[in-house]
Amino acid sequence: MHNKDNNTEIMLNQIGMVYNSNGKDVTALTNVTLDIQKGEFISLLGPSGCGKTTLLRIIADLLKPTSGEITVGGESPKEARLKRRYGIVFQSPVLYDWRTVRKNIQLPLEIMKVKKSEYDERVESMLDLVGLSKFGDHYPKELSGGMQQRVGIARALAIRPEILLMDEPFSALDEFTREKLHDDLLKIWSKTNKTVVFVTHNISEAVYLSDRVCVLSPHPGRLSAVVDINLPRPRSKEMRSSVEFNQLVTTVRNSFEGV
Amino acid sequence: MINKNTSVKSSLIKNSRLIGKIANILLPLMLGVVILILWQTEILHKIFNTDVFTLPLPSRIINIIMDNQAKIVLNIQATVMVSVFGLILGSLLGYLIALIATIFPKWGAGGLTIVSAFNAIPIVALAPVITNWTKDVSKDAEIRSMVAKIIVVMIICTAAMSINAYRGLTELKPFSLDLMKSYASDNKSIFLKLRLPNSLPYVFTALRVSVPASVIAALVSEYFAEYIIGVGRQIRENIVLAQYSTAWAYIMIACFIGILMYVILLIAENIMLKNR
Repeated sequence: MHNKDNNTEIMLNQIGMVYNSNGKDVTALTNVTLDIQKGEFISLLGPSGCGKTTLLRIIADLLKPTSGEITVGGESPKEARLKRRYGIVFQSPVLYDWRTVRKNIQLPLEIMKVKKSEYDERVESMLDLVGLSKFGDHYPKELSGGMQQRVGIARALAIRPEILLMDEPFSALDEFTREKLHDDLLKIWSKTNKTVVFVTHNISEAVYLSDRVCVLSPHPGRLSAVVDINLPRPRSKEMRSSVEFNQLVTTVRNSFEGV
Repeated sequence: MINKNTSVKSSLIKNSRLIGKIANILLPLMLGVVILILWQTEILHKIFNTDVFTLPLPSRIINIIMDNQAKIVLNIQATVMVSVFGLILGSLLGYLIALIATIFPKWGAGGLTIVSAFNAIPIVALAPVITNWTKDVSKDAEIRSMVAKIIVVMIICTAAMSINAYRGLTELKPFSLDLMKSYASDNKSIFLKLRLPNSLPYVFTALRVSVPASVIAALVSEYFAEYIIGVGRQIRENIVLAQYSTAWAYIMIACFIGILMYVILLIAENIMLKNR
């Protein structure tokens, strides 16, 4: 699964981000250089304050870096965003509570002015993909947190993005639901072959899901290591207790600086 | 598993909601009946140390309403028209102000402060000024009085709507604007698909304040109108003439108008916000 060719999707070169907070400059990110391959599952891992979400938002064109360059498929992030190449899943599901599950997934299609005749088929296949076919006509408040976040994933994939950006999507869920969603997400990923950038502060989550784990250390936020995860795919529950898995977790944990 | 749990949970919620709804209607109704009984049996008069001339019995009030139906209907029409038109115009104006404040956030806060300052002016101060201001609107006293009263109600209803609608248009769930941005959404879609539906519960919050206020504003502004019509004005005229029974008949009708409009609002809210 791990592409080692020169098929770069996202190229980050010397990215820096300085905020101005109360007249003082705060460095959120410094000197981040990273190539993300097409179809790769990559995690940005670190404690709070390491700038991992900032980095994701820079890729998504929700923030502009104060220094460095970034290209996405050879274009600027803005061009990529306007071409709707990103599907984003946020920390909270951000479902519109006045819309049913089906209508929530349909939302981006309405905005993209996709033909009405095409809606139903696409929404239905997304519901199927995340295993919520029976819940299309439910309202968000009737769903559990895990189900809501799956709707969020379906909605992100509905626009058929090439890149899936996920910002701590499972951090609010309980351990059991989270592990279930890990396997669901990997299944979806292997079916759709998107590039996934996954932000998390959970080490074993990052190791379990990723091809590579980018370790970000705080104060100032910087990329302190990139760890290859050479576990075979498909990943399974049993792997979580394997020696290799735990060695990788230890390797990743030891690559943090100044935590 | 998940399916079953959710359905059990939602049926439980439905049941407890139904019981809550029945209690919500029944308890106030029972209180009303108790007061009516105390009133008719003159126990209420002993409590307040008053007589049946100043506080006529319910049976007498009902008789008066029955005997004066045609006249009463005419006055109800005048009052309801003023409060409903004032409510609609004021709410639309309030929403428009909220919308402008959302589009121009720098002016927004200041503009809304001015609007809420308007709201602090008492109706009794506002009504004569507006009556004077609109004296050249029409040669027909009935029409120019109507215009003056509607404007008073409108001003009273504008503030509640503008402040609440502004919150509804701007207090969005975290990341919802980012989500729209990630779809490369234009401002029109952001308004129609996010801000407008998001503001709907806030609109009803405003109306819960405005609907009773619009009735009160209509009643009070009638006191100061040139043309003598309306439920509020009849209360005053009859009190001046010491016809307390007739005055009380109109007071009962005023209460009824207020309650009925509020009930209509609650029904509309229930339908519109069913799934929120």
